[in-house]
This record gives sequence, C-alpha cells and structure tokens, in this order.
Amino acid sequence: MEPVLTRNVGKERSQSLAVYESGGGYAALRKALRELTPADVIEQVKASGLRGRGGAGFPTGLKWSFMPKTKDPARPHYLLNNADESEPGTFKDRLLMEHDPHLVVESTLLSGYAMQADACFIYIRGEYVQAARALERAIAEAYAKGYAGKNILGSGFDCELVLHRGAGAYICGEETALMTSLEGDRGYPRFKPPFPAQKGVWGMPTTINNVETLACVPFIIERGAEWFAGIGPNPKNTGPKLYCLSGHVRRPGVFEREMGYSLRRLIEEDGGGMLHADRPLKACVPGGISVPVLRAEDCDVGLDFDSLAAKKSALGSAGIMVMDSSTCMVKALLRTTHFFAHESCGQCTPCRQGCGWMEQVLERIEHGAGRAADLDLLLDVANHIEGHTICALGDAAAWPVQSYLRHFRDEFTAHVEAGRCVAGAARQHA
Amino acid sequence: MPRITIDGSEVEVAPRTTLLQAVLARGAEVPHYCYHPALSIAGNCRMCLVEVERAPKLVIACATEAADGMVVRTGTERVKQAQAHVMEFLLINHPLDCTICDQAGECRLQEYAVEYGTGRSRLEDPKVLLAKAIDIGRHVMLDQERCIQCSRCTRFCDEVTGTGELAFFQRGSRTMIGIYPGRRLDNPYSGNVVDLCPVGALTLKEFRFRTRVWYLKNTPTVCAGCSRGCNVMVSVGRQQEIMTTSGQFDDRIKRIVPRFNPAVNGHWICDEGRLSYERLEAAPPTGTAQCPPGTEVEWETAVSRAADALKRAAAAGRAAAVVSPRLINETLFAWRRLFQGLGDVTVGVQRILRGADDALLLRADKGANATGASWIFGDTTTADAVLAAARGGDVDTLLVLGDVLDPADTVSVDDAARSRLGHLIHVGPFVDGTARRASLLLPGCAWSEEDGTLVNCDGRVQRLRRCHRPRGEGRDGWRIVADLAAAAGLTFPGWRSTADVLQAAAAEIPQLSGVTDEGVAMLGMVGAGGARVA
Repeated sequence: MEPVLTRNVGKERSQSLAVYESGGGYAALRKALRELTPADVIEQVKASGLRGRGGAGFPTGLKWSFMPKTKDPARPHYLLNNADESEPGTFKDRLLMEHDPHLVVESTLLSGYAMQADACFIYIRGEYVQAARALERAIAEAYAKGYAGKNILGSGFDCELVLHRGAGAYICGEETALMTSLEGDRGYPRFKPPFPAQKGVWGMPTTINNVETLACVPFIIERGAEWFAGIGPNPKNTGPKLYCLSGHVRRPGVFEREMGYSLRRLIEEDGGGMLHADRPLKACVPGGISVPVLRAEDCDVGLDFDSLAAKKSALGSAGIMVMDSSTCMVKALLRTTHFFAHESCGQCTPCRQGCGWMEQVLERIEHGAGRAADLDLLLDVANHIEGHTICALGDAAAWPVQSYLRHFRDEFTAHVEAGRCVAGAARQHA
Repeated sequence: MPRITIDGSEVEVAPRTTLLQAVLARGAEVPHYCYHPALSIAGNCRMCLVEVERAPKLVIACATEAADGMVVRTGTERVKQAQAHVMEFLLINHPLDCTICDQAGECRLQEYAVEYGTGRSRLEDPKVLLAKAIDIGRHVMLDQERCIQCSRCTRFCDEVTGTGELAFFQRGSRTMIGIYPGRRLDNPYSGNVVDLCPVGALTLKEFRFRTRVWYLKNTPTVCAGCSRGCNVMVSVGRQQEIMTTSGQFDDRIKRIVPRFNPAVNGHWICDEGRLSYERLEAAPPTGTAQCPPGTEVEWETAVSRAADALKRAAAAGRAAAVVSPRLINETLFAWRRLFQGLGDVTVGVQRILRGADDALLLRADKGANATGASWIFGDTTTADAVLAAARGGDVDTLLVLGDVLDPADTVSVDDAARSRLGHLIHVGPFVDGTARRASLLLPGCAWSEEDGTLVNCDGRVQRLRRCHRPRGEGRDGWRIVADLAAAAGLTFPGWRSTADVLQAAAAEIPQLSGVTDEGVAMLGMVGAGGARVA
C-alpha cells in the first residue's frame, strides 16, 4: 500500500514546516476549523472505525464521545497525546515524531479541536531526546504560523500545545499514571471510575490517545472516513498501521502496512526472513513485550486486534518480536519478567510483590535451582496478579508468564530437570 | 437512594456510599488496610476485593460506589482465594518479626493472616531487605521492611496536616516509605501516623519496647492538655496481674491514643496531648497530708487545721483561692458550695495560655475545663489579681487548687506574696513549686486518677475517667471538700458519688442544666444551657 502515516519519512528535511505543508500538511486542520464542528470530527472518526494504537484497541470515536458535550466554562478540557512509548519492542511513534513532527502537532491540535480542548499536552518519554527536539521546533513553528495558540487560523478556536518530557518510567505510559505524572506527582495509576473524560488531569475532562492513533485523524478528515474504513481485510480493524519488527529477522524496522496484514508475510517478506537460515521461527510476541507469546504454528495470523485476540494474544502496540530456535524461553521469560518487576510502580500489593517473586523464581530456574513445583507456583502467582491490580501493568506482567508456560511448558520442565538451558543444547546440535 | 444486595440481604444506602462503607455500616467486615474513613481513597492494598454480579473482575469495595441493583458477595470462594493471595503477597517480604515487634497484638497483618491467610508461605527465595529502625522524627521510628505500603501515613501528612514529609521511594518490591531528604517528621500531629499504621512499620519512640499491648488496660477518657478536650484512650500497664512472679507493680501510663469522636477531634490527637502524661508521671506525688511540707500528719488533723484557717480568714474577709482550670466540674462545684458556706472567699480562676490556636485541634487555652470553671464560678477575678492582693497583705489564708496534669502549670506563689500570707493551703496531686512553700498539703487526685466531667471549648461536657489508682494518697476533690465542710461545722449535701455531685451541679448551674451522667456517656453532650462560650 502507499505510505500514509509515513509518507514524509525519508524525505529530505522532513521535519520542516515547509516540507510538511508542501505535502498538504495542515490542510486537514484548516478544513476542520472552517467546515466542521467538533461533533462532526468525532462522527468522522467514529465512522472510520479507528481503534486506539496504544495497545487496547478501543474505538477512538467512542472514547471521544465520552467527553462532556457542552462545555462548562469553569472546567477546561484537555487532550493528552501519549508519546511515552515505553513498551519494549515498540518504536513506531518515535519514527513519526523524529521524522514528521508536524504530523504529530497537526493531529494533536485537530483532535484537540474535536475535544474542545483548552490545551493539548504531548507527554513524551524522557529518553526520546531527538524526538523531543524535533517536536519543540515544530511546536514553535506552529505557534509562529498561527496553527496553535489563540484564535487558530482565525477560527476563534484557542488551544495551547505543550510538550512535556517524562522522567523514564514504563508506568507513565499508562494513561492515568501519565496524568498523575503530568500533574507533577509520582507516576501512580489511578483507579477507574472516574474515567478521564469525567475527571482526568487536574480533575478536568480529559482524553488520552496514542501518537499513532491521533496521527490517523488528519487523513480521516482529509480523505474521508470511508477511505480509512476500507483499508484492511477485517472491517472492524481498519486503516494503515505501523508495525515494529525486531528480533531474529534479517531486516528489522518499522513497516507501514494495512491493518490485518499477515504476520507471516511481515516476517518473511518485509523482514527479509529469519536471521539465520538454519534457525527456524520458534515463537513470536506480536504486540509488545506484555502480550501473550505465539508459537510458530500460530503465526499465520492477521495483525489486527480481533484476529490476534482469537489466538489468545493481542496486537498491543504492534511491537513484533521474533524468536528463532536458539531462543531459551526460560531466559526470555526471565528477561521479560525482570522488566515488569523493575517497572512495577509499587502501588498495589499483587503487582508490587508478585512481579518480584516471579522474577526470583525464574532466576532460580534459569540458574539450575528450579523445582518441579515452581512452574505451578509461577502460574498461581500470575493468575492472582491478573485482574487484581489498579492498572494493566499487573496483567501485562502475568500474560507472558501464563502464555510461555501454556506453550512451552515442556521446555520449562526440561530446563528444571536438566538444571540448564535445553534450547541452547538444541542449537549446538543443529 | 440506591438499593443493593450484600450477601443476600437487601439494603438501601445513601448515594455515593461505597461498598465497603455499606458493609461496615451493617456491622460486617471486609478486610482492608489502606482504607481509612478520614483519608482519601487509595485503593492500593487490594485486600477488600469483593464480587459484584455481572462485573467481569473482582472490584475493590473501598472505591466502588453502590449502584442501584448491585448484587455484592463478600465471602465467595473467588473472593477468599484473592484475599489469601493478597495476604501471601503482603507477607512474602515481611520480616515476620512479631516476637520483637511492638505492633504484635494489635496488628492487622496478624489478624488478617489468621482470618484470611493460608498459614503457610511458598516463598523459597530470599526476602527483600530494607532499612530498619530509622529515626524519622522527634517521636516516630520507621521500619521499612515491616511496611505494607498502604500509604495511610503519607496521605495523613499530605491531607490532614498538609506538611507532606513522607513519600514513597523506589519501585516494585523495593518500594519504601521514606522521608524527604533533609526533612524530619516533626509536625505537631506526627504521632497519628503511628496509630494509622496498620502494621509495625511506624512506632512511637515513647512506647516502643515498653510493654506488650495485651498487658495494657485501656480506659476511654478525655485529654486535659488543652481546652479542645480530645477523646483519648489511656493505656496503663497491668503486668502485675499476669506476671505475678515479677512482683512488680506497673500501673504507669504507657501511652495515650486518640479515640474517635466526630464532634471533637475526629480520629486524631496532637503530640503534646499524646505525651501529656510524661510530666504527670515524672512529678513527685503529694503522698500523704503534710503540715508543714515534709511532715506527715493524720488526714483528720490536716483537714481540721485547714478548715479552721479558712473559716477564720473567711470571717475576716481575708480568704482567697486560686483555682486550676483543669479541675473537673464536680470538684469545682463542691468548692463553690464550701466557699458559699464559708461566706467571703475571693476566687481567681487561673488562665493557662500558650501558643496560638491552630487549624486542626490545638488550642492556646490549655485550661481543659476553663469553660466549666467559668460556668461554676462566674466572672471571677483573675489568679494574678488574687496574688497581687496577697502581696498587698489583703489575704491571710490562700488556698491553691493545684494543677492535675502538669506540676509546672500550678500557679506560682512568689516570695512577696508568700511572706504576707498566714496560711498557704495547697490541694493537689503533685509536690510542685507552690506546694513546697505551702503551710499545709492535702493530696488530691491527678488527671488520670479521678472520675468526673470537663467542659471543652465548645461547651461540650465530656467524661473524664479514672485510669489507674492514685499514686499518692490523693482523694477525690469533692470528698476533700466534704471533709473540710464537716470539719468547719458547715451543713453540706450528703453526696455519695461523683454522679450525685454532677446532678446537683446540673440543677444549680444554668449552663449545665440537662446534663446527666448517662447523657455524657462516651462521646459527651452539650447541656440545655451550654451555649458555646466565646
């Protein structure tokens, strides 16, 4: 398919306002401000079938419709563009921000218009220094050109745009933790309800969307909801999609394809196949480190929310991590669980204590001191973290443990019995 | 009004009531650590998970508002499983050092482990080690390993005192409560974090390692530190009853903790009140009747000499009294009767003023019964005017009714006044500065030794209770007065109990009308005439 979100990526000086405008940039914002009411924009987004690219796949238009219809002057509205992109294996938003920052700026302001926002915040992860610089320049240019601030393009719409850099915590990509962090507090998630649309950042009606989700909006406004809804084989999963391919492939990177694109094809064609010809595909994590792992035989699947859910996994943030036959699943799970134990914010009991415990048990198994009972213990701990925490980090930590043990239990058992990695042994024999 | 079903019974609750509040209101329990009625909802301990019909996941009862038609189950197998696992999670990195922990015996971890835990741990790996015995403030010690991160203490400092000294540091299983660098937990209410802490992470320096809580006898009473009259629970040791072999007598006050009274102090008390027993415990008790100080005399002899001096001076118009504003109504009322019988006695009620009122509880007026004294004696002259009169030679016999809480607060009779006095009679529990200069000492009861009533700054009449037997030979104030009246040959009411005195006072003092012993009960009452005094 022709590139949509990435149409400017690779162009010379793609970050500049001039290049962005010459490709039709800011036309959608202009069109919306002149011809459409905020409610019209929301309707268009609903009709497009756009679903959130941050991980959960929630229908964006529906989320937007939760905001108060009539605005109370004492209660400002806020739009937060979630650019924290902290899910391991995910680097798509970074590409947009570094190479096409004006797309991020325009899409934020346009969506802010739909939300009747008084201010939009782009919350960017602290490590994204280059992207933050690119956005800073783009925001300054947008203000200078009248795309942001007071009376945008003479429409009477006022909206400030603020870039906020995070301080490096995975949890701050969780929408409620992001709000707490933006307010200046320790990034702790909040329980819902109240939902952000009722009581969000600073207690005001707030909408939070991922960078890529919002980046779709100008194209929906420009080219129409029908065009967007027509992209992809699955009518409930529409539009262009950025896939982040990494791991044991020859050509890792971000690929823009239609929603529902074949995972197998992404690995074989776009990724150039497996890194080593003699090491076949063993497993794949299709949506960032937190989603359940797929066995090789399950990889003939369309990369969209519903198709992957049918395989008991998830599209998540579309961070596709490919593992070949040399991969030790115990070690992979240990590395994954270490991440969650490290990043658990520590607020609620099951996640705070359970993640560290699972890591300890896996550490023991990995280093040859595992016991047969440890596998059931791991599952039991994971099962009692899942669903019992304030935010989804607990679930994210539980799913890998549950799925690795579901699909690779024999390897774990063999690892415990042998006291060492058996996949590595297989690699030596191969 | 939403109607919900909790474990099979239907209840109607006020809008915005949470499931936890609804359950607690029925007298049932859902276990919880982080929830506290006076703090914001944190929802972090995950102990109060309950099942709600048609909800896919268990929900936390503390943060879920009742909605019409909700069907809630608090004891299903799924709930029990979740609770058992939360208990296991809380305990895996807990040091389990109950044997040396001051919280043992009143620890929520212990209680819920028995009630909701499995009784065993599956942890085979090393526990997370954190810092112990950290001195974080004037009164508070922190043990980070015992902490279950419920955030009650941080919320207290953020929301109640607004001082924000405490916070979480680090993440994951290394998450710890700590104090911001360069700060100390020295706000005037710091001790409350110890009460709030459901486990042994925060302990009070003045109480730690002193006694086991099951050796305490707890008496509900009222703090006399200032005119707020915070409701408290006074704990004294009763070790001699159990550890008979030690033979030690241990009915000292070990600690004071707040007692909930929404009309006065809510859930809190200040540190000053919490530790108000320290000087009381340290002061030398009056012991027996003495005349002069240092020479013991029979009670009857002392009373008769005092009555004689007072009677003569009153007849000559040269008798005066300085009254502590911390005395109970019953004692004050008895003295009033005696003074009326003697004729002409000039009364000055002492004022004890220190510092300023704060926004929470502390009052500058330290007279715990200043209001009651003003009702009983009316607009008297001041203690200073009485002493000035003494210095001027206008007083022959001065009666000092000494402070019952802090010997330093007894009015000080200086040399100039003392030298002009014929008699200085001191009635009180302590050998304080004035007692040493007196010609005659009658031992009275201290604050924690006597039953009676106090009136707080809002005109609320509250019950003071005897927490332990008197350390000296202190007697109830009204009984001392009755003895003096008899010795002076005055007719005096035949009161048989403190309640009789209160009844008589209520009949005679307009502001106390309608006040009864039953009415005062645990939380106090405002009498029919007890309008708020300025």
